[in-house]
Amino acid sequence: MLDILDISKPFADMDRPVDIETERAIMRWLHAEVRYLDAERYQEWLNDFIDPEIHYWMPDMETRRRDDPRGMFAYGESAYFDDTWSELNIRVKRYNEPSAWADNPQTRHLHQISNIEINATDDPTLFAVHSAFTNVRNRNEADQDIIHGRREDVLRAVDGGYRLLRRRVFIVQNVLLSKNLNTFF
Amino acid sequence: MMIELCPSAEIAEGEIKRVDVEGLPAVAIARHEGALYVFPDRCPHADESLAEGWLEDGRVICGVHFAEFDLDTGEVHNPPVGCPNLSFFKCEDRDGTVFALLTGDNANV
Amino acid sequence: MCEGDCKGAAKGRPNMKPVYPKAGSYPDFAKLVDRENAQVDRRVFTDEQVYQAELRQIFARSWLFLAHESQIPNPGDFVRTSMGEDDVIVVRQRDGSVNAFLNSCPHRGNRVCMVDAGKKARGFICNYHGWSFGIDGALRGTDGKVYEKDETFEKAQIGLTPVAQVDSYKGLIFGTFDPDAVSLLEFFGDFTYYLDIMLDNDEGGTEFIGGAIKSEIDCNWKFPAENFVGDILHAFWTHQSGAQAILGGGVDLGKRYDELAFQASIYGHGIETNLDKVGNTRTLGYPDLVDYAFELSEKAKDRLGELRARAIGAVSSCTVFPNFSFLPGQNTFRVWHPRGPGKIELVVWTLVNKNAPDHIKEQYRKGVMMTFSPGGVFEMDDGENWEYSTRVNQGFVTRQQPLHYALGIESADMERDLPGHIHKGSLNDANQRLFYTRWAEFMEHDNWTDLQNGATAAPKKTATAAE
Repeated sequence: MLDILDISKPFADMDRPVDIETERAIMRWLHAEVRYLDAERYQEWLNDFIDPEIHYWMPDMETRRRDDPRGMFAYGESAYFDDTWSELNIRVKRYNEPSAWADNPQTRHLHQISNIEINATDDPTLFAVHSAFTNVRNRNEADQDIIHGRREDVLRAVDGGYRLLRRRVFIVQNVLLSKNLNTFF
Repeated sequence: MMIELCPSAEIAEGEIKRVDVEGLPAVAIARHEGALYVFPDRCPHADESLAEGWLEDGRVICGVHFAEFDLDTGEVHNPPVGCPNLSFFKCEDRDGTVFALLTGDNANV
Repeated sequence: MCEGDCKGAAKGRPNMKPVYPKAGSYPDFAKLVDRENAQVDRRVFTDEQVYQAELRQIFARSWLFLAHESQIPNPGDFVRTSMGEDDVIVVRQRDGSVNAFLNSCPHRGNRVCMVDAGKKARGFICNYHGWSFGIDGALRGTDGKVYEKDETFEKAQIGLTPVAQVDSYKGLIFGTFDPDAVSLLEFFGDFTYYLDIMLDNDEGGTEFIGGAIKSEIDCNWKFPAENFVGDILHAFWTHQSGAQAILGGGVDLGKRYDELAFQASIYGHGIETNLDKVGNTRTLGYPDLVDYAFELSEKAKDRLGELRARAIGAVSSCTVFPNFSFLPGQNTFRVWHPRGPGKIELVVWTLVNKNAPDHIKEQYRKGVMMTFSPGGVFEMDDGENWEYSTRVNQGFVTRQQPLHYALGIESADMERDLPGHIHKGSLNDANQRLFYTRWAEFMEHDNWTDLQNGATAAPKKTATAAE
């Protein structure tokens, strides 16, 4: 397996620019994806943006001493997401139920992304994409949750477009300052 | 002049023992892989007893702020700010008794 | 200043002995639980004075969950947690025992441990003035060569305040700040009979896997605690969407509900179960886990008997008074730490049998994440209910209104030979009434004799039922 597909490993080489056409196409893909998530078009997101072989991982962040070799997170420990396509699909199915009370009334979403870096990899069909995000949720009158973090994505070129093959999501919070995560990152 | 400290059998492998010497500051004796090491029982950082610390991977660990001193060289690792290296006294095991040269300049073994 | 006899401190020197607060008595607050009418006054969820009384009467006295033995296997291994709002360090000692200490330097009060957990710590050094404490809590030294030259400084008299009593039951470590508290086993009473469903269903015992997930919910701590003590009713409505997503249908209590389902309560600890073998495990969404639960149920008959073997994976939930809860079969274990009357910090772990195969442990880890973590399809819908159950009581008139806790008020089961107060059917408010009755006992009583001999104590008939 290529290192960039190993969920436990960070990107090694972030200095392999892609041509301008690819750069533009992937930027459009990234912005379209968050537009779908803002609109809670979760089923379409799953069908149109997510690769069937997706590994979608968001560990929780531990506070540890700098000299603790375990670091802030490790694959195989507790996580908020550690999903295959069918597991993401379970989450989407819940959103599709009218009795998903935490989303009814509707939650107002905003996904902002920035710090985007798009890199080529050893496999010409795969791209290593870094981005930072602000995930804002507001519901009812004054319930607001804001989560900041970074994403390390691997996109696969397929059928003239792209699919998300791997996503590592790292948020900056230790105690999650929200009652739930009725959102995707 | 070499000063008599204690029977060497009292220093078990991997242990540090404090020995009081009349008229001089207390010393600590450690045994690592059979060899004996004698040094002031006083961490050069904050004067805490090193005999209350322990040995780990060939180093004396001060139990207070966890400075680590190489038994070979006295070099300090993980030092609190301003902590100098540790000095050792020349010592030898004469027929089952530990002697050390406690006067004059300390000499690293 | 010490007048002598202060742990050996010299007369006229600072008395640095630990202080363990004495309980008081709050009969007016105890009356907020109306057993006669099966009502709970909403002030218990919002009132700051009631909350402060809870910290004193309940959290400074009860045995509170600290850690699982498996989290700290070696000397120096530690976790940081809370007892009520008190920050504590739980650390394995060189002799293999476990101690716990207030995470506060006796010099200026700063925390001496800033991290969630660590391995083989040599001690804890305060970042403020470098006061250094061993894993036994004793002051080992300071920084700056100053105190050593001060002949009045009595290092041996100073240390981190120990949690008054620490003990463990089948892998789970608990502590209490009350030196006079009854033993952990007495605090549980015969409720250990039910704890063993999860803690002793397999030889080799249990362990926590992965780390802990922590999150904040703006609710009073008693709403989640009462939910887990005996509210399977909410599952049908609150968790309809999650059940549809995973099971493709609603929550199922099994065909033999009328015959098998019950609630049991002792000293406010409570469990509700449907004895349907795998209903909870099924909701984790992995067929292998269901097979494992069936096999475990068969095998565990020898250890636990037929009834408890059926409970291992069943639709069920449990709270150990006051704020430690778990779901058999779904294997999520959690503490609802109070953070004021209107906020909690929820900490969640996953428990597995040590002898379970690795792929089963991995499926429990992922299954708990998918269901009972902040992004889980069940837990997702709990938080908002508890938040608004709490928040609406800011309304002055609203909080005068009674709350209904009267489901199953005449459902006591006097026949069934099980420990504790037994009520028929899991769809029942019985355990929640007894949870609040226990709460009222803690508010009322300043001593353990009264605390252990009130209405929540197991009825006498059960003395032999636990075998």
